[in-house]
Order: sequence, then structure tokens, then C-alpha cells
Amino acid sequence: MDVFLQTFVAGVLKGGLYALIGIGMTLIMGVMGIINLAHGQLMMVAMYITYVLHLAGVDPYLSLFVAMPALFLLGAVIQRFLLNPLLKADTILPENQVLMTVGIGMVLTEVVRFIFKSDYKSVTTGYSNATFFLGNISFSMALVISFLIAIGFTVAMFFFLIRTDIGRSIRATAQDKDAAVLMGVNTGRITIITFGIGSGLVAAAGSLLAPVFYVFPDIGGPFTARAFIITILGGLGSTVGAIFGGVTLGLAESFGATYISMEFENIIGMTIFVLVLLFLPGGFKRLTKI
Amino acid sequence: MKKNLVPLIVLAVLAFFPLAVKDNYYMHLMILFLMWVVIGSAWNLIAGYTGQVSFGDAAFFGSGAYAAGLLSVHLHISAWWGLALGGFAAVAVGLPFGWICFRMRGAYFALATLALNEVMRHSAAIAEGFTGGMVGILIMPSFVSKVPYYYVALGMAVAAVISIQWIVHAKPGYYFVSIREDQDAAESLGINTHYYKMLSLAIAAFWTGVAGSLYMNYMGFIDPDVVFSLHDISIMAILVGIVGGVGTVYGPMVGAFVMVTVQELFRSGFFGLFKYLGNVTGSGTIVSIAETITGAHILGFGILVVVVILVLPNGIVGDWPKIRNAVFRTKPAT
Amino acid sequence: MSVMKRALLVCLAIALAMSLGGAAAMADTIKVGIVLPLTGEQAKFGEIEKRSFLMAAEEINAKGGVKGNKLELLFEDDTGKPDVGRSATEKLISQEKVPIITGGYSSSVTAAATAVAQQFKVPFLVTTGSADKITESGYDYVFRINPPASEYPAAVVTFLQEVVKPKTAVILFENSLFGQSSSKEFEEDCGKLGIKVLLKEGYNKGAIDFKPMLTKVKATNPDLVYMVSYVMDAALLMRQAKELDFNPRLFVGGGAGFTLPEFHKNAGDAAEFVYSATLWVETVVYPGAMDYFKKYQAKYKEDTEYHGAEAYASLYVVADALKRAKSITPKDVRDALAATDMMTAFGPVKFVSYEKKTQQNKLPTFMVQWQKGELETVWPKDAAKMKYVFPVPKWKERK
Repeated sequence: MDVFLQTFVAGVLKGGLYALIGIGMTLIMGVMGIINLAHGQLMMVAMYITYVLHLAGVDPYLSLFVAMPALFLLGAVIQRFLLNPLLKADTILPENQVLMTVGIGMVLTEVVRFIFKSDYKSVTTGYSNATFFLGNISFSMALVISFLIAIGFTVAMFFFLIRTDIGRSIRATAQDKDAAVLMGVNTGRITIITFGIGSGLVAAAGSLLAPVFYVFPDIGGPFTARAFIITILGGLGSTVGAIFGGVTLGLAESFGATYISMEFENIIGMTIFVLVLLFLPGGFKRLTKI
Repeated sequence: MKKNLVPLIVLAVLAFFPLAVKDNYYMHLMILFLMWVVIGSAWNLIAGYTGQVSFGDAAFFGSGAYAAGLLSVHLHISAWWGLALGGFAAVAVGLPFGWICFRMRGAYFALATLALNEVMRHSAAIAEGFTGGMVGILIMPSFVSKVPYYYVALGMAVAAVISIQWIVHAKPGYYFVSIREDQDAAESLGINTHYYKMLSLAIAAFWTGVAGSLYMNYMGFIDPDVVFSLHDISIMAILVGIVGGVGTVYGPMVGAFVMVTVQELFRSGFFGLFKYLGNVTGSGTIVSIAETITGAHILGFGILVVVVILVLPNGIVGDWPKIRNAVFRTKPAT
Repeated sequence: MSVMKRALLVCLAIALAMSLGGAAAMADTIKVGIVLPLTGEQAKFGEIEKRSFLMAAEEINAKGGVKGNKLELLFEDDTGKPDVGRSATEKLISQEKVPIITGGYSSSVTAAATAVAQQFKVPFLVTTGSADKITESGYDYVFRINPPASEYPAAVVTFLQEVVKPKTAVILFENSLFGQSSSKEFEEDCGKLGIKVLLKEGYNKGAIDFKPMLTKVKATNPDLVYMVSYVMDAALLMRQAKELDFNPRLFVGGGAGFTLPEFHKNAGDAAEFVYSATLWVETVVYPGAMDYFKKYQAKYKEDTEYHGAEAYASLYVVADALKRAKSITPKDVRDALAATDMMTAFGPVKFVSYEKKTQQNKLPTFMVQWQKGELETVWPKDAAKMKYVFPVPKWKERK
């Protein structure tokens, strides 16, 4: 029973972080219909910001307030100057955008490598290793905090999308771009804002992950992969779906590691992904309708 | 007749290349170039003509390479048999692949192919007993000289390009393009779109697999990270296609040439030009520029990707009129 | 048209560079080709090795070089990819006409590069690439200075036999070439020692959360946990083992990540008392080992580790072979290299053939333990600088 519970706890806590990574992706994919293969790389940039601030003595949780706006700007700039122009270009394949994000990811990774070298960096804090026990189950303090913050962001995001004008415009653009244009939504501006918000959220995930993990330039790739698994699981543009998707992936990875083998971790994620595409296209969103 | 003149001249130059250039280094680059012509042309068929942008070409490439390698490891026969079987192994992987992925369209199709390639890569790494796992497969290349490999690669490239051109200009080719332009319309006209997408994928997988087998024979070493690599195979295939020109006849050739050259240019610091200039002039700045360039060559590569997509979204061949206008814009339009 | 002129100039310069680039070398240098990952994911270790090569070259050249000829190092970046490593090696051989090549960091690149060297009959002294089969292919132009991956745990085996005498073990390994091959070898060693392997499990490098796996391992209650991990995974494994209050009788690392300073820095007090197999630490008994370490530290203001020592020693072996070679041709250099018998900062170097291996250097391995934040050699007894701490106190018993 302890093994089961510990696995469950580990999966849920990890899932909280995944959700935060996923929300950014789901907004971007939902609104623009493009796959952002530089998503993990944006998180990596945020982790380096956290790292640099940590060197200057700033707590990783405080550096959220720097990393998020910085990545919002970076994301907005990418959308404005690199992705939006592609919408106008006359090409055979719309997938040029996807490839563009691959290129952006490469550039981000290599610029960071150029500055910081390939070395592993860590942001070790007093609470990186702190734990508490409930019964025989161990909880990592840092992961619990990050889980709570992730949930907080997600709830805030949810109300932002439902209650504010910008949020409504974003949802309108996600649902039907042409209709949104007709209703007077400036979709060009909305895409820029959305990419900014998506980047800002993944930056939050980066800052929260930094103290429990480590940083190096190539860290982005696996997280990009997880982000799109979560998005497909949860359904495009659905914040609630992203939470479900994140926690589901976290649990699947944890239970897979305990009851099958840890080496199947990535295969499990990819298999879920393909199964959802096949049997539940639209993801959890189809079930929850939000 | 005139229309075939350019390809014939190119072919003649390629056929006599080894007689003129004995240098192994340039031969090596040419073999890589020919290999990428095959992979790029195959990708161009499924993505450029049929409109199904695959991010999973490495799955086919890897299957072909592993087919060749495993033949030599388990059956102790020459890995050259892989050239015959590798293509079919890739098709065997490609068909279920297509069965799964073709239920999706556009970006979802791209993601699904990417995911399946990852599954292949991890499976090859985990199935230690069968594939050797991450230890990979090492065989001794059969020839010291590069000339045999060169001609095999050349033959393969010619066969791939001709067969793909033939199919593109035959009836299936028109169906492919109609699927790309509007799948629903194609379907309503009575075209069995699923069948033709599978056909396109099978041919593309076949040639990519053959290229993988050649890679095994030529390099003598493969492991899951090398042949199932997202960046070095799948993305590179897309780049070859896009840089050259999607859905054009000569695009993949131009793309392969540009990509192989550019990659090597950045890696070697413009073939040692900067280093040489630095040594001659004794200027420390130039030497450090050279070191910076070689140190950041993947960065250069990434920037190139961004710039090409931004400026030449249809590739060099596709946007040739645009390039010509930009370069010779002082001339009056004819 | 100034644009045309400028373009013409550039073309001329390129043509000049191409025609003269190869011939620019001076007569009184001997070229040594070195293949290393200088960019990409493995660049960190490529850099350490490059610096160590340069340091060795400076020292050798300051002492008059090889028979009055200075060594000129030609570095080629393999970017960590086998095909690039292959073209890099070909470039060194056919364009630079080097009489000998050394380097080779990752096993996959080394495997591809050594095959080229063998085909062209140019000697290749492998510095790091540790896959067993690199020296099992019967290549007579390929030599290796470091032991193959399967031999890393040799000292651990005698330690277990004589001191710990565990009954059960769990083996965790990174799903990489190094992880797979050395965990397989250790499993066989366990069989010979009569240790029951309760679980052998791989994981993918870069995993965030090892807790599910560790929970499962904890439930099997093993005496010994043997881990083949790279540095950051190693640190996370130990941190999370501590978080789970998991107390086997001992944790042993199979080399690689567990001996690096970053491991201690990241694992913090969770690193304390962890054992590891290793090939080299600066405190080993070999003459010049500590010297090398201190010189490196002074010169580059950074710590070095065993990869650097391998590189540093490699160049000394190369210089020694070049000195003894009848002429500076690949064939004669190869023969001289085969007759090598010398002491280096990395240990004794002599290329022998045994079992399936050819021209492989055989080195004793050591066991180290983290004690009060320092990495101490504790086994075998004759090399030990400190007494090993065993039994290891449980996490909760530590202050």
C-alpha cells in the first residue's frame, strides 16, 4: 500500500508542474493552431534566468516575477516578428510554422550554450531537499509548493479566460478565427498576447522546477514533448484539460515506473498520446466541455 | 530534348566526379549529399506532393539501417543485403505507421509521426537482446576506397529520383497533389484518399529505408540515437525539402547540396578560411572570429533555418523567380 | 561595380585558402590529429580534454618536443555525432596527412572514427570512448588507453567480497551505452559472488522523478544498490533516496557521475558515504597525477577530472611513440605505439591483447567514498588513503 500511495503522490506532484507547462502549450496550439516545438526551450531560458538571479541571491520563487515578464516579452517578440509574418506568406505547406519553431528552439538552445557552456547548473536552496512525512509517505517540500503555485496559476488563468475581455477574445480566436475577426477581434494582437502568456506560464514552470531539478541547454526537448502530450490529452485550448492532462501524464509515468519499468517512461507518454489521438480525438475537453 | 539537358549534364558531372576529385574528404561530402538527395526526394513525395508533412522520417531511415545491421549481426550475412531488404523493412514499419497517423490531418499528423518515431527510438534502445541497445551495431565497412560507396549512392539517388518523378507524373501523382490541395474535394471526386496516402508513404518509406541501409554499410556504425534522431534525420529531411523547395522536381537536390555544404561550412569554419586568414595576417581577431564561428556552428544552422523560412518560404527552387528578381533587380524586366 | 570586385576578392581568398591551407604547415612540426566533441551536448568534456591536450603539448614542446620537432595539435570537432566524427577523421587523414590520431570521447563517435583510421592504416589512440567492442574488432591500428566500460567495477567486486559480503543487490542504470554495458557486467559479477540481483532496471537520462522507482526498490529491501548514472541523475537519485529515507547497507556508483565535484555540489549531504568505482582521482599513487591536477587548476581556474587525465596521458603516450618511431609514417608510429611501456599521470600504459580485446591498456580500478565532502580513495587497501566507513549510518541517525 505504501508503494502505491507513494507512487500516487509522486505522480500528482509531478503532474502539477506538467499542467503548468501544458497550459502554455494548449493556449498557443488552441489559438494559433500551430505546434510550438520551442516550448521546452522557452522554459529552459526561464530556468537560466532563475539560475542567474539565484547567483545574485534571489530566491527562485521570487524570480518568478522576473522570469515571467521576460518570457512574456520574448514570446510576444517571437510571435510578432517570426511567426505572424509566416501567416501571410504564400506557401504550399502550412507546416512551415512548425519548422520555424524548431529553428527558434535551436537558436535559443545554442545562444544559451554559447553564454553558459554545456555545464550543468543547479539552483540549490535550503528547501530543495526538505521533506515531510505523512504516515510513511514522503512529500518533497519544494514539489508541494510548486504544485500549489501551479494550481494557483491555473485557476487564475481559467478566470482570466472566462471573465476578462482579452480572455474572451483569446477563446473566441481559438474557437473560430474567422468569426472572431468578423466580431471585431484583432486576432493579430491576440496571437501575440497568447504566445506571450503561454511563454510566461512555461517560464513559471521553469522557475518552479529549477530548485528541484537542474539546468543545462538541452533540457528543453523532453519538456516540449511532454507539453504536446498534455495538450493532446487535455484538448486544445482547455486549461482544465491541461490540468487533467498534466496529472494524468504524471500519474502514468509514475505508475509505469513502479509497476512496469522506468525505462518505459517515454514510451508510455508517447503511447498515451497516440491512443488519445486515435480513440479520443479532442482529448478530455470532449468529456468536460470546458 | 532540351528539357532533359540540364539533368543529363548534372548526371555526367556526378558520374565523372570520382575521376576528377580523388580527395576522400570531398568524396565523403558527396556521398552524404547523394544520401540526402534520396531522403529529401522521398520526404518531398509524401510532404511536398501529397501534403502529409512527416516529422518521423527517421523511423524509416532507422528501420532500413537496422535491417541491414541486424542481418549482419544475427544472420552473419553481408549488410549489403540490407540495401535490398532495408527498403521493405521500412515499408513494413511505414504501413502501420500510416494506418495510425493518417487518421489525423495537418499538424496532428506531424505530431503523431514524431511520436511514433520516438517510440521506435526508445524501443530500439530497450530491446538490448535484439538490437544491441545503446551499444549499437558496429560492422567493418567492406571497402577502403570511397568510390564504390559513391557509385552505389549515385545509383540509388538516380533510381530514387527517377522513380519518384515517374510516379509524380503518372496518375497517382495527380491524386497526390489533389489530396494536398483539398482532401475533402478529392474524396468527393471518388479518389480513395487513404489508399493513395498509404501508397505515397510506402514509396517514401522505401527509399528512406534504402538510404538508411546505405548509411549502415557506409558508416559501419549505428545506434538508436543516431538513426532515429529527430534533429539529425527527421528535421534535416524536412530542411532539405524546404530549403530546396517543397513540391518541386529539383528542390530536394538543391536542398541536399545546400544543407550538406552549409553544415560543413559552419562546422569547419568556412573550410578553414578564417583560420588561414588569421594565420596569414597574424590578426588575433580573425582567429578568434574563426573559433567563435566553429564554436557556434549549430547556432548558425538554427539562424539559417529561421531566415530561410522567413525569406524563402517556398525554398530556393520554389522561390527562384523571387531570388532572380532580388539579385538582378537592376536589369529591366524582360 | 564595387560589389563585383568584393565578390571576386572573396572568391580569390577562398581559392587561396583551399590551395594553401593544407601546405601551410612548417617543416619542423609533427601534426597530431585530435577528434573531440567541442560543441554540442558533450562539449564540456571535450573542452576539459582539449585543455589537457594543450597543456601536455606545451610541456612536451617546452622540453624540446619530439626529436627537436614541435608537436602541432589539430583539433577536429566531432559535435558528438558519428557521421561528423567520421568526416573529421577523414579530413585529418586525407587533407592534413597526420601520422597519428588521438581523442575520441563518446563511444559511438569513437567506433565510427576508429573504423576510418583502421581502413586508412593510421594509428588511433582512443582516449575515452569506452564501449568494449571498440577494441574487440581486431583493428591493429586502434589502441585504447582507458579500460573498457565492463572493467570499471573491478575494485568494487573485491570490496564486496572481502568487506561487505552482501546477499542481495539492486542495479539501476542509465539507458546509455555506458550504463547498459557496465550494468550487464556487474550483474555477471554478482552471479559469481553469489549475490542475488533482486531488480535490474534502466531509466532514461534526464528523468525528473526517481521516487516511484526508488519506492519500488526500497520495498525489495536490498543490501546493496549499484547505480550507473551520469552526474545530475546521480545527484537526484541520492537526494530522492534520502527524501524517501531509503537505507540499504550501501550505495555504490559505477563510476561516471558519482566521482565528479558537481555530484557532491548537487546532492549535498545526500552524497556523504556514497561509494563509487573509479579509474582515476587526483590522489592516486601515480607519479604526476597530483601535479597535473594542480597545474590544470592553476592554469584554467577550474577542476579537472579523469577524462582530462586520460587526454593528458594520451599525448604523452603519443609523444613517446613518435620519439621511438623509426620514421614519422603511420606504419612506423603504429609499431612504436604497440611497443609502448611507460608510466603516465593516468597510470601505467602498455597495450596488451586478452580475451577478445586487442591493444587494450589494462589498468587497476579503485573504489572511492565521499567522506566529509571529500572524495577519498578507500580500496584496494594498498592504494587507500583513508579507511572506508562501513557500515554506513542510516539517514535519520546522521545529525
